[in-house]
Amino acid sequence: MTYRQRRALTAYAFLLPAIVYFIVFFFWPIAIELWASFRSGQPLIGKSEFAGMKNYLYIFQDKLAIKAISATMIYALGSTVFTLLLALGLASILAGPLKARNTIRAILFFPYIVSFVISALMWKSILDPYTGLLNAALLKVGLPPQYWLTDPDAAIWVLVAVSVWKDIGYAVLIYIAAIQGIPSHLYQAAELDGARRHHLFRDITLPLLMPTTLFLAVVIMIASMQEMALPYLMTGGGPANATRLYSLHVYETAFQGLNIGYASALSFVMFLLILLITWVQFKLLNRDIRHV
Amino acid sequence: MAYKHTYSLTAKIWIYPVMAFFVLLSVLPFLYMISLSLQSDAEMFSGQVVVIPEELQFTNYVTIWEKAPFARFILNSFFVAGTIAALHVLFDPLIGYVFAKMEFPGKRFMFVALLSTLMIPFFVRLIPLYIMTAKFGLLNTYTGLIMPFAMSAFGIFLMRQFILPIPDDLIAAARLDGASEPRIFFDIVLPQLGPAIATVALLTFVFQFNEFIWPLVVVSSENMRPITTGLTLFNQEFFTQWNLTAVGGMLLFLPCFLLYLIAQRHFVKSAMLSGMK
Repeated sequence: MTYRQRRALTAYAFLLPAIVYFIVFFFWPIAIELWASFRSGQPLIGKSEFAGMKNYLYIFQDKLAIKAISATMIYALGSTVFTLLLALGLASILAGPLKARNTIRAILFFPYIVSFVISALMWKSILDPYTGLLNAALLKVGLPPQYWLTDPDAAIWVLVAVSVWKDIGYAVLIYIAAIQGIPSHLYQAAELDGARRHHLFRDITLPLLMPTTLFLAVVIMIASMQEMALPYLMTGGGPANATRLYSLHVYETAFQGLNIGYASALSFVMFLLILLITWVQFKLLNRDIRHV
Repeated sequence: MAYKHTYSLTAKIWIYPVMAFFVLLSVLPFLYMISLSLQSDAEMFSGQVVVIPEELQFTNYVTIWEKAPFARFILNSFFVAGTIAALHVLFDPLIGYVFAKMEFPGKRFMFVALLSTLMIPFFVRLIPLYIMTAKFGLLNTYTGLIMPFAMSAFGIFLMRQFILPIPDDLIAAARLDGASEPRIFFDIVLPQLGPAIATVALLTFVFQFNEFIWPLVVVSSENMRPITTGLTLFNQEFFTQWNLTAVGGMLLFLPCFLLYLIAQRHFVKSAMLSGMK
């Protein structure tokens, strides 16, 4: 055996546990889920037969799924847009010569690290119509109490607000790093040419932050499209299914309805959508993994 | 450093209040949790704005242990998150090393396949993983809680990025001297990875400590619940007792809070890494 072959064998030996692990816990589950998504009956847990595209087509007739898709779109787009706008504003201030900016940055980032269970439950408690802090404060200043989480029109926006509250510190962090990475001679040159400060922001900072913005938009969008814990913890999907996000619908279809074939089709559609968004991001950012 | 100007007085007048508002908003639920955890039932139901409870109800911190097995919940969380973090410390550097410094046929393909797993959302794996876990008879077990997270492409990728800058000459020289690959890994590569390993261990621990969906699905017996689902189901059972839920929240909050205080730098650094291109 040559030296080269021996070294390749060593490498494979090191990799063996990982190869087995990723096949069993990543690729195999995807494969059997794809298989199940084309079956009716009880695929994976009992008897089933081939059903063609039936499960996929059923999505269009499932009123709850359609409702879930529109709620998820509002939630994902709302979370992404508001997080990015607020984070950009905060980051452009925090990238400047502000006292205590590192402390502020650390505090803003904190909700991102803390368990979502705590955040969701505490916000729910603050918004509780009878014992919550917010309605008590509203009453104190003479305003009528609000039923934040039981009003179908308001509830989804409450979830958006909580998600913005949680993600904003992360986006601020990334934006600050990107702003600080912009070479200062660009600003100096523009100032010499007589550009005003808001022009500097519009014509230098903003365009140079485009890749960062795109990256953050995709990361936050993909994460919010899959959000399940937040509606599960705060509203249970209600009122009147107004906050029944897609993942929650899949979860209930699979684990309460035990409709594995249909739930598999639902989650595969989401998977394809996420892959599509990631692919578009790759194309736009022109990233490649050539230095492998 | 970009802007080197200073803020004018007028700018300062609005900047500091705005920052104060967002800082307060960030910590509000946690301050509220502390206050709530020390309120009596009467105070909680009074409908008044209570900032500091009139009489601090430390008894809440005693009754909570009688209402549900919270000690067991915390133990479960520490055990599961700790084991997963340990598995990552064990495997991620080694596999990262193979991809960073070793040559073998199929390397590129395997690396791309590894990275592609980053694009598989957990919720897409949820249903088949649950069925597999059930078929292996691992529902309501630590093994079942640990298995889906034992390895991840993210930790391996991070390690590879840290190992790449180690000079190839150093490794080539060791190979010429007849050092075996395991020896090179343990004697040359591993000692340089201290801070990187700490970052991976810390992040993995905190994320697993906070994991919610998977235990919600695979654990049905009360004694196997980690603190996240333990607290949630406690809250559903005692849904008007927000003060007791807040005490449980404190138990879930404190470990991560302490870790964040000690190692804030690691969290910030790794969040930045994920955003670098």
